[in-house]
Amino acid sequence: MEKLTKDGLEKLRQQHAAADKNYIKVGFSSCGIAAGAQEVYDVLCEEVRKHNADVEIKKCGCVGMCSAEPLVEVRVKNMPRVFYGKVDKETAIKIVEKHVGAKMLLNDRIYDMKVS
Amino acid sequence: MGKTVFIKDTTIGGKDRTRDVYGILLGVLRERGLENNVQLVRVVDIGVYGQGVVVRVLPENFLYTHVEDADIVGIVEQSLIGGKPFAAKLVAEGARQLRIVLRNCGVIDPESIEEYIAKDGYQALAKVLSDTPEKTLQEMKTSGLRGRGGAGFPTGMKWEFTRKSPGAQKYIICNGDEGDPGAYMDRSVLEGDPHSVIEGMIIGGYAIGASKGYFYIRAEYPLAIERIEKALHQCREAGLLGKNIFGSSFSFDVEIRLGAGAFVCGEETALIASIEGKRGYPSPRPPFPSVKGLWGKPTCINNVETLANIPVILLKGGAWFAGIGTASSKGTKVFAVTGKVKNSGLVEVPMGTAIEDIVYGIGGGALAGKSVKAIQTGGPSGGVIPKEHFSTKVDYESLQQMGSIMGSGGMIVMDEDDCMPDIAKFYLGFCVDESCGKCAPCRIGGTQMLRLLTKVTEGEGTPKDLEQLEQISHAMQKASLCGLGQTAPNPVLSTLHYYRAEYDAHVKNKKCPACKCAKLVRFLIMSEKCVKCGMCFKACPVNAISGNRESGYLIDQTKCIRCGQCFEACKPRAISRS
Ligand SMILES: Cc1cc2nc3c(=O)[nH]c(=O)nc-3n(C[C@H](O)[C@H](O)[C@H](O)COP(=O)(O)O)c2cc1C
Ligand code: SF4
Ligand code: SF4
Repeated sequence: MEKLTKDGLEKLRQQHAAADKNYIKVGFSSCGIAAGAQEVYDVLCEEVRKHNADVEIKKCGCVGMCSAEPLVEVRVKNMPRVFYGKVDKETAIKIVEKHVGAKMLLNDRIYDMKVS
Repeated sequence: MGKTVFIKDTTIGGKDRTRDVYGILLGVLRERGLENNVQLVRVVDIGVYGQGVVVRVLPENFLYTHVEDADIVGIVEQSLIGGKPFAAKLVAEGARQLRIVLRNCGVIDPESIEEYIAKDGYQALAKVLSDTPEKTLQEMKTSGLRGRGGAGFPTGMKWEFTRKSPGAQKYIICNGDEGDPGAYMDRSVLEGDPHSVIEGMIIGGYAIGASKGYFYIRAEYPLAIERIEKALHQCREAGLLGKNIFGSSFSFDVEIRLGAGAFVCGEETALIASIEGKRGYPSPRPPFPSVKGLWGKPTCINNVETLANIPVILLKGGAWFAGIGTASSKGTKVFAVTGKVKNSGLVEVPMGTAIEDIVYGIGGGALAGKSVKAIQTGGPSGGVIPKEHFSTKVDYESLQQMGSIMGSGGMIVMDEDDCMPDIAKFYLGFCVDESCGKCAPCRIGGTQMLRLLTKVTEGEGTPKDLEQLEQISHAMQKASLCGLGQTAPNPVLSTLHYYRAEYDAHVKNKKCPACKCAKLVRFLIMSEKCVKCGMCFKACPVNAISGNRESGYLIDQTKCIRCGQCFEACKPRAISRS
């Protein structure tokens, strides 16, 4: 990266400003990693590749619901943005198949806590 | 966006009717041929607790509580077909979080400087550098931000003192030693949004006139260290650290120092000694670090959370920040809510939020089948607040009035199974372990208090011991050299104040009302209730239970270690604990 100027900073900001894209975020702080975030992340990546799904998988820090880790946030256009908690391998597979693929939210997995 | 309905039965105890309500709703939708237009979802947690069946309709976000089966047709017709609220059961959203410090935690990739920049990162730094340091100091004083490391000293003033101290070389240090049991807010910020802390530190450096900063992070936080290292590297690459930042005359760089895990090294003078490579002993203040700190130079020490606030304050203005919170405590506070609470995790609320809103509203209250007894705030320097006082608002002064402190933000929830003398013993034991031993009041006083508390919890205590506990407490508070010893008696004094009866029960009746203190409890099988299932037999880790499924079971009191495993394992509650 070249040395930033004020204009450069502003340009970068606009370039990376949140685009209206589908994403899956996996909490990758100590709490998430300890609860098994890496496996969930790997499964998600694998499934997305398999289904060629229109979604980007990202890592993020801890959103604060440590007791529900591994925590996965899913945002698909025209659907509510939700958090899946205590995600295991099976749930991760279903997130890609059902939520991202069939546009159906999963039962008994969503933690609807208002964090922001 | 199509309609989505979240359903959750939040009734505490009793049958979970989430599935029933789901079925009824689905039936009503089918009758109207709408089942494909609406997504019905059973959720695990709906952010509301103990309010019967709760239904949330999206995207309008209508929230209904205490929903009866008879209400369902109304909700479908009014909200799902009509798009209007169903007034009879509509409620406003309860306690909400407000995220300033945690604004990016869980939102951005902490290892990407671009994502931080996309969230207005380093805009505050750019703005600050185009004006004088005095302007920044003024803005900080307007904001009313107080240090989040425990003492709550106004940050703007601390910065100004350091700036005004004579000397060409000055330093700023970020205190990431976070040693309070149960507290991990700082770790989470360092791991989840490292750039916010770095930006806060660079701004602080500019404001006080420092060219060098240090991160002091405990070695037990390897991921935090790794992410800060990575972020610092990205900053150097982008010219946000180094010479002439943003083309200004200001140059600044940062180094990391690791703490070896001594609690006392979080104390600022001990921390400085530790960075200098000396033994982590506190030294008397004055001189304060702002006058004579690291290597004898004026030094400003700020907590992680304090620094994470800075970029937002300077971008949105001190007046904006001062509009949040209470008269004397501005902004928000992050709490690590842990212990016997349903949702343990991090919570950021405006100062002045009632404890009950945090514990019940956001934390979801006690674990299944238990009830909350009290919270502990401020870690080993704080105290307990009984549930009768949960209307207390969290700000520096209110918590102090209750005999506790804000501290760094640990909030440990305790339930009926927690014994107060035992809690006091735990915290005091922590301080005795962590005392550096430099001064006598803390070294000797702490040990003596621990001895007395051990006597009490083992049923050997006398009323005189309680008196003595108070006397030593006051002596330690007055005479200890540093904050560790000065505040170590707080958990003892506060539990003595609120739960005197519990201490008396230990001392006079040799009983532990919470049935926690191993020496004072007894587990007995009540043969009239026992169904001879043998679960207790299996559960006992030391084989203190003998018998078989014909003759029943017996606990051998000489072998029993009072762990309570059998008590938990017995479904028909045939084991008494007293
Ligand atoms: C025994 C002891 C331990 C401390 N531990 C910490 C700590 O882990 N983190 C911290 O920020 N402050 C800690 N402090 C407070 C610091 O001495 C100092 O007040 C604080 O870092 C100043 O930052 P602030 O003004 O931003 O709050 C501790 C104080 C004492 C007496
Ligand atoms: S009060 Fe305790 S920790 Fe502090 S200097 Fe004295 S002995 Fe050391
Ligand atoms: S678990 Fe309870 S009911 Fe079963 S054998 Fe033990 S005491 Fe009896």
